Amino acid sequence: MPAPIRLRELIRTIRTARTQAEEREMIQKECAAIRSSFREEDNTYRCRNVAKLLYMHMLGYPAHFGQLECLKLIASQKFTDKRIGYLGAMLLLDERQDVHLLMTNCIKNDLNHSTQYVQGLALCTLGCMGSSEMCRDLAGEVEKLLKTSNSYLRKKAALCAVHVIRKVPELMEMFLPATKNLLSEKNHGVLHTSVVLLTEMCERSPDMLSHFRKNEKLVPQLVRILKNLIMSGYSPEHDVSGISDPFLQVRILRLLRILGRSDDDSSEAMNDILAQVATNTETSKNVGNAILYETVLTIMDIKSESGLRVLAINILGRFLLNNDKNIRYVALTSLLKTVQTDHNAVQRHRSTIVDCLKDLDVSIKRRAMELSFALVNGNNIRGMMKELLYFLDSCDPEFKADCASGVFLAAEKYAPSKRWHIDTIMRVLTTAGSYVRDDSVPNLIQLITNSVEMHAYTVQRLYKALLDDISQQPLVQVASWCIGEYGDLLVSGQCEEEEPIQVTEDEVLDVLEGLLVSNLSAPVTRGYSLTAIMKLSTRFSSVNRIKKVVSIYGSSIDVELQQRAVEYNALFKKYDHMRPALLERMPIMEKTATNGPSEIVQTNGETDSTVLDTKHPPTITQPPSQGNDLLDLLGGNDVVPVIQTSLPTKPPSAGGELLDLLGDLSLTGAPPPAPASVPSVPMSQPPFLLDGLSSQPLFNDIGTGIPPMTAYNKNGLKIEFMFERSNPNPNIAVITIHASNSTEADMTDFVFQAAVPKTFQLQLLSPSSNVVPALNQGNVTQVIRVLNPQKQQLRMRIKLTYTYKGSPVQDLAEVNNFPPQSWQ
Amino acid sequence: MMRFLLLFSRQGKLRLQKWFTPLPERERKKIVRDMTTLVLARKPRTCNFLHWKDLKIVYKRYASLYFCCALEEQENELLALEILHRYVELLDKYFGNVCELDIIFNFEKAYFILDEFLMGGEVQETSKQSIANSIEASDMLQETMEEYMSKPAF
Repeated sequence: MPAPIRLRELIRTIRTARTQAEEREMIQKECAAIRSSFREEDNTYRCRNVAKLLYMHMLGYPAHFGQLECLKLIASQKFTDKRIGYLGAMLLLDERQDVHLLMTNCIKNDLNHSTQYVQGLALCTLGCMGSSEMCRDLAGEVEKLLKTSNSYLRKKAALCAVHVIRKVPELMEMFLPATKNLLSEKNHGVLHTSVVLLTEMCERSPDMLSHFRKNEKLVPQLVRILKNLIMSGYSPEHDVSGISDPFLQVRILRLLRILGRSDDDSSEAMNDILAQVATNTETSKNVGNAILYETVLTIMDIKSESGLRVLAINILGRFLLNNDKNIRYVALTSLLKTVQTDHNAVQRHRSTIVDCLKDLDVSIKRRAMELSFALVNGNNIRGMMKELLYFLDSCDPEFKADCASGVFLAAEKYAPSKRWHIDTIMRVLTTAGSYVRDDSVPNLIQLITNSVEMHAYTVQRLYKALLDDISQQPLVQVASWCIGEYGDLLVSGQCEEEEPIQVTEDEVLDVLEGLLVSNLSAPVTRGYSLTAIMKLSTRFSSVNRIKKVVSIYGSSIDVELQQRAVEYNALFKKYDHMRPALLERMPIMEKTATNGPSEIVQTNGETDSTVLDTKHPPTITQPPSQGNDLLDLLGGNDVVPVIQTSLPTKPPSAGGELLDLLGDLSLTGAPPPAPASVPSVPMSQPPFLLDGLSSQPLFNDIGTGIPPMTAYNKNGLKIEFMFERSNPNPNIAVITIHASNSTEADMTDFVFQAAVPKTFQLQLLSPSSNVVPALNQGNVTQVIRVLNPQKQQLRMRIKLTYTYKGSPVQDLAEVNNFPPQSWQ
Repeated sequence: MMRFLLLFSRQGKLRLQKWFTPLPERERKKIVRDMTTLVLARKPRTCNFLHWKDLKIVYKRYASLYFCCALEEQENELLALEILHRYVELLDKYFGNVCELDIIFNFEKAYFILDEFLMGGEVQETSKQSIANSIEASDMLQETMEEYMSKPAF
């Protein structure tokens, strides 16, 4: 058989191939030749064949049939064979191959070879890809070589030991004695690899760390070496742009960092040298900056004195102004790490950081954005937000989602005023509306409902935004929800803040219907607009138009829309008397620190029973536009009517909730079942109430030190108020009323209503029952929650209705004697 | 430590691959694909650092070849640039004005040089001269064999 072609020849031939197919053909031919050559156990050309195989492997072709051949090469006596054999082993074998273990014996022999270059090959292979078993078997040999005086082998043994320790950490102990005088070597290769070995040991084992700190006095040794490197003259062998062995310097700095971390003595011992390096290093080239960078990282991580820390941050500040992009990037990354601990120092560089937002480089922009968000605080919020919003406008799409979330978070924490907050949200929604995250929609809605005085302004701005652009789904969803809720404010044209726009009901309905039919609207968005249209049926007068729209969608292909429409239809047809209550203005949603949905689930639980409890319909308070007998009671517009917990209190995806509840009603057509479980609040609550909540019960008969008071006592009916502060939100006072009846007959159909002044918001939960038993045999309890953000004096008007001995009784009263602790 | 070092051309052809952790073949191929895609997509005057998974990627272009390495979180990126540069200098000294073709036709030599400079993802020797001497001595060992056999080994 003719001699196999030489490596370079093969390479040249393959490179002449003009197509992938041609190349593949050549390779397959050659592989076949190589395979048969392997089968013939040809020693002479094995090396050549494996080399060719490695080349083909690099091109991406399979080469597994060469694995055993590599072993044979390693076992050969010829140096050339060993060289290629070990290279092949490193490229073709990984830990999963069984042949791997067969190497162990060869490596062991070669570790003891007479030629140092063969020993070197063995050490290198073991140190790059030795498996745990191999490491265990050969650790002893490595340890022996670590003690040799041959610096060529010693440095390789050190790195091999590092690999062994990484693979089998338990073996660390056995290398300890050999490290004793590693640092007294003159050879830089050995010094460098020794420092790496010591670093690895100190990082992995706190015992080792303290041993090296105290017993070996490593810090002074390292300081001395570093000092020599800096102070000594020019050394051509290790010089890089005028700096002596930067690789070693950086490694020493890193080891110093580990030694100095949370240790005062060590940190003090290295203060001087760190200051020296920080001030004397030449910064004109990358290499000097690499050393400075490592120095800064070390200073920030150890217990350095404050002067040194300031020096470090100033170096980073200088980096920020450097022309070199890499250095700016590295500075931003480091500042991001230190911003938590040295916030004020970093704030000084805020303007430079904000300028980096305009950098052309994508990596730098991202870092600058993250750092900018970390620097936002109450003082600089307005200025920073301007810059960040400008950034949001002009940045690449990959940033928009993160930037939008960041803006929302920052605005929530530090908003100087509600109007500013809403303006900021609007700006984000209109410029980056489609990148906003899904959970921001409910968060925003909740925020908007909480800013009671801004409702008119908000809905106007959202409406105008909708007119411009309906493609950004989160914006459209928030806008349609708001229009559904506050459509009456929109049409009435009242707005203190801005030029009120004149909008008619038809125009609003046009816009919402437009959303329903537009191709740009996602299914979720359509759901929002349908619900919004439905809600407007209690706020607008053009009910017929709404009825028509709703009935059309009763046959929509989209199942979700269809279901909603069918149920809304049912609402019109059979349950029209319930419609106003159901579609009433939402109460304010509280923000829970822990878990939003659990709070909402809780009130849903309450409302479930409220709605099902139709035998005793809670007196529904009509929304203002339809007149309100309580308002009449209180003689004017200065009181906000009671908001009975109507359903759903969850944001619009609560169309689901609506459906669930109506499911019983409309589909069966049967009269609603008797209240399945009328909870006697606060004792028995539906199970899911407690699931997501923290262990603090929100309703607690036992007042927290606030004395109970008697609110009403007439004709045998006595009503007592018990107080409790709502734990998540101190602005909310929770009052539990206890109604008792000292007469000889029961009071049935008992209904309690309350109204509060405008600055408060009130929420009435369902009563425990509607019968106040006679002769004080039991109580009816009911929970009232009052939101009092302005901490004004609480006053309340109550209205009581009940049937007593067959005749209806009604009474009104004012409650003014609230104890100060209940509203302060 | 450095996790891997790759050299590839502007067309995405791999010229050298050094892996410092054990990875199956399929995984290696995927990483090479990802790296070439990421690095070749970078615009000319952007910085030399990227983030990929939990690693820092440092790359530098020398003529028609991209040198790309992956570092763990605590490594110094600016120093990594110096490491890449040092490797190029070593190649340059060995081949005399090194170009891509040298590395294509003598890939095994490029590996040998790399193995004298780095081991297990760490720098082994900081003196250029020392490395050059070792390579020369090893080559001599090989040549002796070849002279003995009176034909090139491969």
